[in-house]
Amino acid sequence: MMTKQSDDVIVKTLSRLLIPFMQIYALYVIAHGHYSPGGGFQGGVILGASLILLVITYGLDNALRKMSEKLNTILCSTGVFIYAGIGALCLVLGGNFLDYAELDPILHVGIAQARSLGILGVEVGVGITVMAAMASIFLDIATGGLPSSKEKNIQGKRA
Amino acid sequence: MEVTILVQATDESFEILEKARERSRDVLDIAARLTSESQSVQRKRVEAIFKGARQTKTEITRFAATFIILFGSWLLLSGHYDLFHISIGVLCCGLVSHATHDLLFANPRAGDMRVIVKRFITYIPWLLYQIVLSNMHVVRLALGPRNLLDPKIIQFKTKLESDISMVTLANSITLTPGTITVDIRDGVYYVHAVSKKTAEDLMTGEMEDRIAHIFMEADHVYVQDTLDMAPVFVALK
Repeated sequence: MMTKQSDDVIVKTLSRLLIPFMQIYALYVIAHGHYSPGGGFQGGVILGASLILLVITYGLDNALRKMSEKLNTILCSTGVFIYAGIGALCLVLGGNFLDYAELDPILHVGIAQARSLGILGVEVGVGITVMAAMASIFLDIATGGLPSSKEKNIQGKRA
Repeated sequence: MEVTILVQATDESFEILEKARERSRDVLDIAARLTSESQSVQRKRVEAIFKGARQTKTEITRFAATFIILFGSWLLLSGHYDLFHISIGVLCCGLVSHATHDLLFANPRAGDMRVIVKRFITYIPWLLYQIVLSNMHVVRLALGPRNLLDPKIIQFKTKLESDISMVTLANSITLTPGTITVDIRDGVYYVHAVSKKTAEDLMTGEMEDRIAHIFMEADHVYVQDTLDMAPVFVALK
């Protein structure tokens, strides 16, 4: 179980300095996915990697204080909901699934721009889901499927 | 008659003396109070100087600093400077700096950030020069006779205090060809050196001195340090 904090000052300091830039790069990859290579999946993986780096270097408990497993699960389903919601919205408005041109009556920006915005929305959804899924896979491995110590405390109090 | 006058005069003189004594005691009390007040004011001022120097950055300034740095890197990455992309950038930077503002500035140290940045920039050319020098040394080792090679692990205790300066030293050592930082444990560096000369260069401690100077650490007061602090004292006066 990788629940311990790393005691290597080099790794800790460098990951402390790198994580914000990793995350901003991931969001850049997501936000510019419709202009340049990259997109939701790639950006989501980078975001997930930054969370995994946080768990490895600062220990599970510190990382869960930033990003609890509950929030993770909520984000995981929110991303899918955004993706499917945009697709279903196009379906409701009379087009095919994910036919972004049908979003134009809502957005009033012209068909081309509506397609661009629709793709961006879908990518944000994909990014959130991929990030949460990556993090939750890693958290499950790190905790061995057992509840983390914080959750254990809560359960202990309830009992 | 004369005796009573004399007694009265004596009484009066005693009263005057008493009053004068009380007056002088009051004056002395006031003087003592003033002195202690001025002392406490002085002490408070000195404390304020130290506190100002070691003031921990508040949450908001940390957030703002992180935001500015992240937004700068966003603008560098993005390349699209229309309203839409910049507003997405502001949103993303806000999110990330909310999540990570306690990471980037985890331990704000005493000392002026501007001075540190300025000195760090002047440190880079020196480091590059050292890299070139030891590169040539390693080339000589690779092409020259085998008996020059003397790989070993040396250890030394550092006088650096904060994590960021220790990491700067470790990475400078690793960047210089011929030496690699293996580990830092409790302030002791374990460095692999490929030959006697590289190990000796490292043990002179010049690199460590320079890094202590950048981050204004240890008992290392350079002339430059005093010069940098002069405007602070002028402002205090």
